[in-house]
Amino acid sequence: MQGGLILFIAVFVVLALFPVIGVPRVWLLYLFLFFIYLSMANMWNLLAGYSGLISLCPAAFVGLAGYTMTIMTWLGLPYYVGIIPGAIVAALFAMLISIPVFRLKGIYFAIGTLVVPEILRVVFLLWKPVGGPLDGLGRGYTVHGVAEVSRSQPYWLALAIGMTSFLLMRYILRSKLGSGLAAIRDNDSTAASCGINVFSLKLCSFIIAAFVTGIAGTIFYIYQGFIEPASAFSIRWLITLMLATVIGGEGTEEGPIVGTMIVVFLYFLLARYAEISLIIQGIILVGIMLVAPQGIVGYIRKFQRHTSN
Amino acid sequence: MPLVMGILLGGLYAVIALGLSLVFGVVKEINVAHGDLVILGSYFGYAAMTMLGIDPILSLVMGMPLLFGIGFLIQKYLLNRAFRISMDATLIIAFGISIILQNTFQLIWTPFPRGLTTSYALKSLALGPVRFPFVYLLNFVVAIIVMLFLREFLRRTYLGMAIRAAAQNRKSAHLMGINTDRVYAFTFAIALAFAAIAGVFLGLTFPFTPISGMPFLIIALGVVVLGGLGSIVGTFIGGIAFGLAQTLGGHFFGVAAQMLVAYTMVLVVLAVIPRGIFGR
Repeated sequence: MQGGLILFIAVFVVLALFPVIGVPRVWLLYLFLFFIYLSMANMWNLLAGYSGLISLCPAAFVGLAGYTMTIMTWLGLPYYVGIIPGAIVAALFAMLISIPVFRLKGIYFAIGTLVVPEILRVVFLLWKPVGGPLDGLGRGYTVHGVAEVSRSQPYWLALAIGMTSFLLMRYILRSKLGSGLAAIRDNDSTAASCGINVFSLKLCSFIIAAFVTGIAGTIFYIYQGFIEPASAFSIRWLITLMLATVIGGEGTEEGPIVGTMIVVFLYFLLARYAEISLIIQGIILVGIMLVAPQGIVGYIRKFQRHTSN
Repeated sequence: MPLVMGILLGGLYAVIALGLSLVFGVVKEINVAHGDLVILGSYFGYAAMTMLGIDPILSLVMGMPLLFGIGFLIQKYLLNRAFRISMDATLIIAFGISIILQNTFQLIWTPFPRGLTTSYALKSLALGPVRFPFVYLLNFVVAIIVMLFLREFLRRTYLGMAIRAAAQNRKSAHLMGINTDRVYAFTFAIALAFAAIAGVFLGLTFPFTPISGMPFLIIALGVVVLGGLGSIVGTFIGGIAFGLAQTLGGHFFGVAAQMLVAYTMVLVVLAVIPRGIFGR
């Protein structure tokens, strides 16, 4: 445990120094994406792997948080002020949609969450939160005041949220919430009869996931400097997070780390073949699910158990 | 005017939802790739029309067997196997198929909207003071024919009865000597043959793009849930309800908001009556 902590801090410090020691900018970009996707994939894993909630609406949290932060910059506030309010809006929205979708179980929950980003996209296409030079073009907005910000700042923010999400997962899984969720996953009616409030535990993890995904979303848009509804509420967020979690291993702590590394590496490899990139990602998703539904980490664990017996 | 349009449009939605309803009712899986498979039907009609000069409706003679075959293979080699892993696995694999289809359409046919513009698709009919496009009436008639056909098929043929048996109780059906995996594969195949029909009539009615599958999937899900699991009459009524929601929504809140009305209705239906009007 001590060694693990020292290693963790060492990795953190080295990664934090990267922009200072002049690492190539492309590396920083891929690392930035890695941390953003890692924190979101961790949250998707918390829902799908530990809470039995296949949530198809991470884009709703990303988009809402991103828009909140962007609108706040239009009101004259510096960009970093909007990060936490963005996440709070995402978490409040999670509470709001939990009223209809938490009545639903399993696959119905998935359908309910699938509709949500589509609704938001239409809303943000119709609604003009603030007037601006770019409205009319798909209701896109630039994030004010980030043009002159150095690229290292969003990188550090992303590093912080990526690392935090990892620690948070460790903490949650060893807390009362984590053991409650594990009990629900194994048998929800037994868990309920032991006095575990199934509803409130699931709601709790849903709101935590929305909050952290929201933070990561705002940081992404600080880097991008521009937001518009079609990409903010795009299904691509879900594809990336699902792919990262499934490749690495749903319901394992290390799964999203391994999975996100592979997904970001895939982006790097397929960057020149944009038109077939998503087709290949789809094929990998289907293939992994059929061959190794526990993902890479789950597969290695099974193999280890097999050899140690 | 929007009332007539809505009811007629409901016919199209019912046909789109029919395959989804069948798979949902029998195999108990939500095929999130259904919208994209319907759009595959639209693109097939488009390819037949532009490359071979065949009328899109006539091209169904080839389109239906093609999608039937694709459906059989998808269920047999992918979804039946996923089913044994977990419910989540079927959902994720169907999602993967959806991603593959959307991006394949984009690669072949570019992101620009296409439409099946035939001479009769542009005609309009007058019913007293109300004028409406001819295709809307055609959609409605086709919906009734297709639904009657499915009803008789499920009632009278051996395969139809096997499908109903597997839908009611998978284990008992299996014990009665029904090869449920095969029945599921045929069910999915039939659902996709209906998707081919839905795709062509969708293409005659609306322009479509590679990502059109999603809005139609959502509406079809709403139709299926509202109508109740695996109920043909329910699907028809659900279709009309959503057709009306869209045209009335467009009438009162403007065309831009019509999808918003339909989407919100899906959420409301899920929250208030998840078992549907005709649900068991």
